[in-house]
Amino acid sequence: MRILRETNVIMMVIVFFALSLVPIANERFYIYLMSLFMIYSVFALSYNLLFGYAGLLSFGHALLFASGAYVTALFTLKIFADPLIGLIVSAFSSIPIALVVGFLTLRHTRIYFSILTLAFGMLAYALLVKWRDVTGGTDGLVGIPKRGILIDISSPHLYYYFIFTFYCLVTICLYLLTKSRWGLLIRALGDNEDRLPFSGHSPILVRLFTFTVSGFAASISGSLYAVLMGVVTPDVAYWTFSAEPLVMTLLGGSGYFLGPMLGAFIFVILTTAFARFAEYWQLILGIAIIAIILGFRGGIGGVFESLYKMRLRLRGS
Amino acid sequence: MIDLALLSQVAIGLYRGSFYWLLAAGLTLIFGVTRIVNFAHAAFFVLGGYLMYTFYVLTGSFLLSLIASLTVTGLLGALTEVTLIRRIYEVPPIYQLLLTFGVTLVVNDVQKLVWGKFPKYIDVPEYFKGSIQLGAISYSYYSLLVVVLGFLVFLLLHLIINKTIWGLRVRAVWRDPSVAQTLRINPRKLYTTIFLIGTALAGLGGSLIIVLHPVGPGLGDYLIVYAFIVVVMAGLGNIVGAFIVSLLIGVLSSVFTWLIPEADILLIYLIAAVCLLLRVGGLFGER
Repeated sequence: MRILRETNVIMMVIVFFALSLVPIANERFYIYLMSLFMIYSVFALSYNLLFGYAGLLSFGHALLFASGAYVTALFTLKIFADPLIGLIVSAFSSIPIALVVGFLTLRHTRIYFSILTLAFGMLAYALLVKWRDVTGGTDGLVGIPKRGILIDISSPHLYYYFIFTFYCLVTICLYLLTKSRWGLLIRALGDNEDRLPFSGHSPILVRLFTFTVSGFAASISGSLYAVLMGVVTPDVAYWTFSAEPLVMTLLGGSGYFLGPMLGAFIFVILTTAFARFAEYWQLILGIAIIAIILGFRGGIGGVFESLYKMRLRLRGS
Repeated sequence: MIDLALLSQVAIGLYRGSFYWLLAAGLTLIFGVTRIVNFAHAAFFVLGGYLMYTFYVLTGSFLLSLIASLTVTGLLGALTEVTLIRRIYEVPPIYQLLLTFGVTLVVNDVQKLVWGKFPKYIDVPEYFKGSIQLGAISYSYYSLLVVVLGFLVFLLLHLIINKTIWGLRVRAVWRDPSVAQTLRINPRKLYTTIFLIGTALAGLGGSLIIVLHPVGPGLGDYLIVYAFIVVVMAGLGNIVGAFIVSLLIGVLSSVFTWLIPEADILLIYLIAAVCLLLRVGGLFGER
């Protein structure tokens, strides 16, 4: 157990270090690609807190991503043109949203929770499409500033490190959370919900806490996305967008803290880099998912672990 | 005059709702019997439409293409059950859902590969052109055909499940697969047939919708949300409920689109969310 904990930390340090070096390449495309990777990583890590740790399959996680993106866009465009303040405001405004949605949906578990989150996610999508005066309808909101009143992150290096800072912060915070008492409770909830009350804890409170923390992190990733792209459209609230972190989590392995990050990396490479060559990446992804479910339910992380164990066994014999 | 307009919106809504029903019927049947939430169901619905297009272009016969398309779609559904879904009856539901999600991605992209990115549609065949006067509102023959077919499917499904020996077996498995097994019913064999029937119904729906309505990428993603909402609102596995809720959602969305176009889909999702919140087991109860 202790070794596993250390591997996670070592891996995180290596990844952070490698990512901090990316801008040295001075290649706009890589900087953009890795920025996107970091944003998706945060999104997928926040998703896995719900899915992998608490055992809740949400189809409406995009709602919180979109809330981060749209609040940032609206705040920077209409009230105060600064990406940093926009991010902070949107992150904290996601708390009441997550609390309300969580309060309504979390009373139900299993498939009902999934369908309810799907309905709420699509409700948010419909709202963004229909409330044209505020959200710009299907055209979305354009011109989210990178050059703010307080900070200016308009060059690729600057916005890269801006995203990098929040990526590291959220990742470390989520990691510490999963190692804390609360993390233990969340995992207990995912393992056996019926027995959690025996230890004197309320499942609904733990669930609501998990949902809110996860939503907070997701909205930060949404906010970073809005800043990176400079434009947000309702597509980020559509249910297929909620399925993306799920796919990443599965690819990487939901049983590992860093699994979703690995999945996000593969996903970004597959969709962005390969999309230039292969138009049919969904086909590959679909086959990968089927293979994972039928063969390796632990995802790629699980494959690594069994290889590692096999090596240990070989060494032992 | 407003009543007349409203009435014709209701009529259009019934037509729209019939498609939701043809989609939801198979979804709820498959769930009721096998306990699998089949995410790929709408992908098969769309596949039915594409197959109809190809057969119609090839043969020129509406009826022949319809039968061919729903048969092929049904067989493909059964094939998916035999090759993939059969292996996951024992795993946690989350993984079952994800497998069918993977199937959705594959089916979607294969469709794009075969039929291209641009939507396809076929014209109404000659003998369905024209319309009929029902009281004060006029209804096209084709709309009437879809509504009647939808109702016939409902009637047939209801009768088969409640009045035949085979239906008795289905109900036995529905209630409790392990007890059914002690009565020498093989649930696995039944599951394949259920997938065949359920997916064929989706194929029928898709074949009917491609007449007049363009079928293209993204349609399945859009429809599956409606299908889920209908099935869960009705109560998972409840066929009678699914029929009523499908038509209800169809009528409501037509009326909303006409009355308050600024908020039509918003209201549908709102109603769905409120319904789900108030009655978890669905309006008509779970089977």
